[in-house]
Amino acid sequence: MIRQPAAAWAAAAATLALLVVDVVRQLQLGVADTGLAFFAFATCVGVAAALAVARWQPRMAVLILAWLLLSVADDLGVDWPTSRPVSTVWMLGTALLPATYALMVLAYPAGRLRDRSERAFVAVAYTVGIVGMSFPLLFGDPRDCADCAPRVPSLLFTGTALDLGVEAHVFAAAFIALGLAFIALIVRRLLQAPPGARITLFPLGLAAVFAAGDFIAQRVVVLAGGGGLTPTLDWLDRFATLALPLAILFGIAAIRRRRGPVGDLVVELGSARPGEVRAALARTLGDPSLQLALWLPEREEFVDEQGGRVDIAAPGRAMTLLGPEQEPLAALVHDERLVAQRPLIEAAGAAARLALENARLQAQLRAQLGELRASRTRLVDAADAERRRLERDLHDGAQQRLLALGLALQLLRDHGGDPQLLEQAEAELQLALRELRDLARGIHPAILSEQGLAAAVRSLADRSSLPVTAKVADDRYPLAVETAAYFVISEALANVAKHADAHAATVSVARMNGHLLVEVSDDGRGGAAAEAGGGLQGLADRVGALDGRLTIESADAGGTTIRADIPCASS
Amino acid sequence: MRLVVADDSAIVRDGLRHLLEAHGYEIAATAADADELLAAVESTRPDVALIDIRMPPTHTTEGLAAAAAIRERAPEVGVLVLSQHVDADYAFALLREHPSRSGYLLKDRITQLQTLLDAIDRVARGESVVDRELVELLLRRPATRDRLATLSERERTVLALVAEGLSDRAIAERLWLSVKTVETHVRHILAKLTLPADAQHNRRVLAVLAYLRQSDGAT
Repeated sequence: MIRQPAAAWAAAAATLALLVVDVVRQLQLGVADTGLAFFAFATCVGVAAALAVARWQPRMAVLILAWLLLSVADDLGVDWPTSRPVSTVWMLGTALLPATYALMVLAYPAGRLRDRSERAFVAVAYTVGIVGMSFPLLFGDPRDCADCAPRVPSLLFTGTALDLGVEAHVFAAAFIALGLAFIALIVRRLLQAPPGARITLFPLGLAAVFAAGDFIAQRVVVLAGGGGLTPTLDWLDRFATLALPLAILFGIAAIRRRRGPVGDLVVELGSARPGEVRAALARTLGDPSLQLALWLPEREEFVDEQGGRVDIAAPGRAMTLLGPEQEPLAALVHDERLVAQRPLIEAAGAAARLALENARLQAQLRAQLGELRASRTRLVDAADAERRRLERDLHDGAQQRLLALGLALQLLRDHGGDPQLLEQAEAELQLALRELRDLARGIHPAILSEQGLAAAVRSLADRSSLPVTAKVADDRYPLAVETAAYFVISEALANVAKHADAHAATVSVARMNGHLLVEVSDDGRGGAAAEAGGGLQGLADRVGALDGRLTIESADAGGTTIRADIPCASS
Repeated sequence: MRLVVADDSAIVRDGLRHLLEAHGYEIAATAADADELLAAVESTRPDVALIDIRMPPTHTTEGLAAAAAIRERAPEVGVLVLSQHVDADYAFALLREHPSRSGYLLKDRITQLQTLLDAIDRVARGESVVDRELVELLLRRPATRDRLATLSERERTVLALVAEGLSDRAIAERLWLSVKTVETHVRHILAKLTLPADAQHNRRVLAVLAYLRQSDGAT
């Protein structure tokens, strides 16, 4: 987060300096009145408000000061009514003032516009302001206008004076439309803001709607042919100028008064379960979208309470660091409209410090566990891939060589080789080929990856030494899941044949709620258990690598049921 | 007899060519993958195509797909798929749609000349061929063994040969029996196993194989 209060201080100094010039000059001219005093007061309050938000909302401070600077420039017109440079500055300032005001209000509190419609509105407002003023700049000659200030044409005056009455009406109408659109945008902002942000947005919105109403009223007077400002509207204008900084200062004061929720937070965190710190903070700060990002120094990344990575730089989001900047404890990623509440956010963060420390330790643990699980899965995946490669290599390499050798033996027989020796060689070769085939099948059965789990299980059942009833649907599942399920069934059936004294076994595979449920049961004598280093333990590890669970149910004399429950999102 | 040989291994392809030519077969063309095979069959119209089950690009079951395509497009051409897998699903995949003029043989058999030539001739005659090792695997299944308990020793032998795809006449030759005797055996076997007796020869193979593979006594 950029914090540049220095720039804000410089802009504030410039604004105040220009204000002093304005006031001194009007005193010299003897035109100073209560209106001027009120304007000077409002400007000072505005500068104070800008400086008050400068630490947390530096962009906002710059926008407020830009608006104040333009306001003062707008007032300079009465100081040197016959100076053409002042006349030029006055016109330019007046051209930019309404749009800058709208930009400042709409960008509050983060100093950024939130969406396309707001950006489009501000662009149109500037365009209308500049185009509208370009006529008086180029063709306006107010020398005959008694109540105009200033009363000389701008430096850009073309020398051709035109009657700008029609133009003034057209642009007054355009400004009325813009004013109404502005009010609509403000109402929309208030309705869409997260609850925690409303406390600062509401007073500001009120002030802005007031200012917009006055702005529209002035244009209505122009359309009605009234020409300049009525004294009433003039005063309303001054009040509107004062209302905005007051609204900002009021919002800040309201936040300071809202320390109450932080006290509640401390109580709530005392009884919060692990993983609920984020929810508690979100409630306290009134931002349901709030994300808690815990900083893990040794991994140099932000994670959530579950240990998953958090992206702290998302559009429309702002981040508040908790703890020292070089070595933060955590960051809260929240709605940008909450930046005015940063003092409150920091207070909440400080109150939650202990809970956050705890959450960080837990997140660290979870992240490490997740990593461990991922590496276990990768190991199994790599081993499976290696098995498939080996199986293929045996078929494409060794087997082809042996077959070629067999073909050569056949040819040798045709060319008068010793039939007895040849027969022996051929018998050896058949044996070698068969052993190679069995070896390849044991490493990885091709039918599993080629035809799926159901076909592979049927093939296992064909080879079993006891009757196997298999209920497996002809569906395909992810390769890792199919492979794990296959080896569970294969190992379980081998165990049944070897140890169980069983008459029959049943295999069933079913998918339920995103899990593949594999079950192998027999009617043997039971008593099976997973021993460390045993085949069943290996299966449990393999299933565990996929986040699954292997359970063995084996009462004495009650048969054995081996169940694997493997998460299986989609095939 | 004219053959096409498809195998992506050049040593096996050339070895087969030499061996088969030495025994009076004409090799009309050889092919290294399924596309070449289909083109060769199209242009040479052989009696039988010998097809390796794994061919490029995926080296899985391209041969099965190519065999099915040939049986669709050129019904007079027989297909003999040479496979490394003793798995009934592959054989069923081949024979289910086109039981006649189709054979599923273990690739090892190319080193057993007599078995290979016998299979080629039978496919050319329009019979089915199922590798003996696969049939023996199915006969060894405990559930199957129990269900075949009512058959005599001789009947079991005949059943195995039926499952291998042999015609009654071929069985008679193999067992030194008269065709009539074999026919009687077959009729008895089918009746005992409650399989349809009037099934056409090649459908009979499928029916018997499916029976051998059932999990329990129920049909």
